[in-house]
Amino acid sequence: MRYYIDIGVHAFPEGADTPQRLDLTARRLGFHSIAITNHTPFLAELPDCGIVSGVEIKAQNVGELKKKIALYRRTVTVLNVHGGNDKINRAACRDERVDVLMHPEHGRHNGLNQVTAKLAKRNGIAIGFSLSYFWKTYGIRRARLLAFQRKNIALCKKFDTKIVITSDACSHYDLRAPRELKALAKLTLLEDDEAEAALSSVPLDIVQRRGQR
Amino acid sequence: MKPLSPTLRDKYRYIAFVVSSEERVTVSSFIKELTEASLGLFGAVGASAFAIKTISFDGFKGLLRCNYKHVDQVRAVLSSISRIGNARICIVVLGTAGSIRSATEKYLQIEEKLRRNISSYVTVPVSGRAVRIRGNEIDIIPEDKEITDRADVHFIGITVCDNERLI
Repeated sequence: MRYYIDIGVHAFPEGADTPQRLDLTARRLGFHSIAITNHTPFLAELPDCGIVSGVEIKAQNVGELKKKIALYRRTVTVLNVHGGNDKINRAACRDERVDVLMHPEHGRHNGLNQVTAKLAKRNGIAIGFSLSYFWKTYGIRRARLLAFQRKNIALCKKFDTKIVITSDACSHYDLRAPRELKALAKLTLLEDDEAEAALSSVPLDIVQRRGQR
Repeated sequence: MKPLSPTLRDKYRYIAFVVSSEERVTVSSFIKELTEASLGLFGAVGASAFAIKTISFDGFKGLLRCNYKHVDQVRAVLSSISRIGNARICIVVLGTAGSIRSATEKYLQIEEKLRRNISSYVTVPVSGRAVRIRGNEIDIIPEDKEITDRADVHFIGITVCDNERLI
């Protein structure tokens, strides 16, 4: 049996639902577990119910990013970085303590290049692709964001960088079943087995590697 | 006109699904949204190959027909729908089958267990009114709308574990 993990979910108070509600919905959809990655972690006091603790660091500059990584690394299992400008993305890919660089697309740029993709590969950092663009954006904006994603996926495949796909959910209405996420991922450049790995083995590996904290 | 022989007819798959929504969804608004979503994601050329048809829909569970080669794309279309009108929705595919009868027997023998129109005041985790209960799931309309606006929904979702007084 495959273990599916959604590694980038936002819970109350950033999202609208409590972690337990998201976990309940995700399990019904076929996920093994979810990682709650708010911008400020609060899961130290979560009851033992299989939810993975995490954080998605949002920083304005490299100094702030490094401070926050040092602050949160010991307390959470999954440490994601909210993709920002090129400097943030590159600093995140250079730091071994980071697990996933989430949605590196920023403004008019796709956020990745050959340097960051190689750095991410060397430091074992996965690039996170948020499939919520499919249902949170419309028209030309959606087309533009998906174009960035295609470009980034092509880069990741060329340099053999790990890929993670998430629903980036803010409520249970944003959660999608693994099979649906795979169907959406296949519309960008991912193949069947790559989408499967991006949803199961890669996030499971991250959780297991960092899990003993 | 002479009907097509069975080997020449189009082959279909039937997709059973349930809708979880903030408000009751009507058939016409669902079909309209489905058409718009398939056109928005794949355009007229792509959507023409899917042959999507809504067989049945009762506001909660329903059945779609589509071409057997395009089930994955139709799943993608269904998951790209996030709202109908002003209400957030999420379409969950229960499964696919080769005939209407097998799809109905396998997947659609379920009933919606939703208690509406309850109204009890809560303070955990936010102060507001609990308005709907489905199994262990409770929906709250908060007094402070900032969080729901940010997440683009109308309810705060909690479970009975979060607020045991409401069981």
